[in-house]
Amino acid sequence: MSLSAPAPENACLDREGRPLALRASTVHKRYGSRSILDGVSLSVAAGESVAIIGENGAGKSTLMRICAGLLQPDAGEVSVGGRVGYCPQEPGLFDLLSADDHIAMFAPALGLSRREALDRGHELLAEFAFPIHQDAQCRHLSGGSRQKLNLALALLGGAKVLLLDEPYQGFDHGAYVSFWEHVARWKGEGMGVVVVTHLLADRGLVDRVVELRVAGSRLEVV
Amino acid sequence: MSLRRVLVIAKLTGVELSRRRVALGLLTALPLAFYGSSVSRGSGAVLTGGVAMAFSVAGASIFVALTARPVDARLILAGYRPSELLLGRLLLLELFGIAVTGIFSVVMVFGSSPEHPWALASGVALVALTSVPFGLAVGALSPHELEGVLVLIGVVGVQLTLYSTDLMAKLLPFWGGQRLLDHAVNPVATGAAAPVGILYAAALFALATYVMTRRAPAVGGAKRHSRDVFAAATRLALTRGG
Repeated sequence: MSLSAPAPENACLDREGRPLALRASTVHKRYGSRSILDGVSLSVAAGESVAIIGENGAGKSTLMRICAGLLQPDAGEVSVGGRVGYCPQEPGLFDLLSADDHIAMFAPALGLSRREALDRGHELLAEFAFPIHQDAQCRHLSGGSRQKLNLALALLGGAKVLLLDEPYQGFDHGAYVSFWEHVARWKGEGMGVVVVTHLLADRGLVDRVVELRVAGSRLEVV
Repeated sequence: MSLRRVLVIAKLTGVELSRRRVALGLLTALPLAFYGSSVSRGSGAVLTGGVAMAFSVAGASIFVALTARPVDARLILAGYRPSELLLGRLLLLELFGIAVTGIFSVVMVFGSSPEHPWALASGVALVALTSVPFGLAVGALSPHELEGVLVLIGVVGVQLTLYSTDLMAKLLPFWGGQRLLDHAVNPVATGAAAPVGILYAAALFALATYVMTRRAPAVGGAKRHSRDVFAAATRLALTRGG
């Protein structure tokens, strides 16, 4: 993954003239002899929401990890317009630490004081009805609560691009509805939001749907 | 390198480790049991107990490293450097090693009355010092806890079966400590035990750092991403155009 410069003058804008939050160009990724992504390109404008859909094994999570900078593509380029907030499919959390411990751990990396991070983190968790008062270790949290913390950590640093890989697994109906209300708000704040999903209902809640086929080719459904 | 980041990682590693009380108790009891079961057989018990203490400190280090692995990628994406994560853990685990060293030294000095008690304490301390980077390196290289613990059992087990004068023993990570322990109870010279042990520890830490950095191949990319690259590209295009 590399940044190629100089970019053409209009390379930072989408077709409608909006600034881009994310641009992945002809990304290739193989695991052994199996091609996962074969020249996949994806652009997301600031203030735009995009759903990535596709069968199991189509490479959705791989594409998310590459866009987040956690995985190196075999070929292709990814550029982003600011800090990336990445919410992985499996919440990577310390079982023996609490939500506050996690927030405190992320704070110095994000340039926040412990107090600032806790205030911001509590605010985010409260929006998703996370049981903050319990101060429980993560191993004692429900799957939905773990996922809420996972999502809050992605949002903690004030991201410009949100890469959310099935972010509401385990959410109850209220939290699910609240999540999509937040997506609308994040869009309004100028974030580019990418959501990997399997739910048909989600397709009507985003600006654009991109389908990844197993071979890795991309079919865009507007 | 940020001291605050290192200290935050050290503190929270300590919080996590303190919640593994049962596991830590068992890890410490195991080498003490090795020592207790062989104390009646004379000076060899000190070597057994001292080297077996690596089970305790290296075991804790392996658990810390492997527990953190799923979170490390996100921490690095957020802005941590791999070396900051490792240094924070090293700091806390070495403190744990000092505590365990104190317990083992007191038990073995009173239990075996060695000729050179300070050599015994130094030997145990060197085993602890080496155990932390050994555990972090094994944790970085092992896919799961089981494999990591099996490697630990294998290496410490082989070291326990060898004399400190054996060539094979000198190639293993705990030889420096083993030699000092040997000196504490037997008429053998320490030689270069301490510097060899320290160098071994430094090399193992470098290995752990290398593996962890390699495992996050896009770290550099992630750091580039944290800037407004589109704005940078536009500025560059305008600069060249002008």
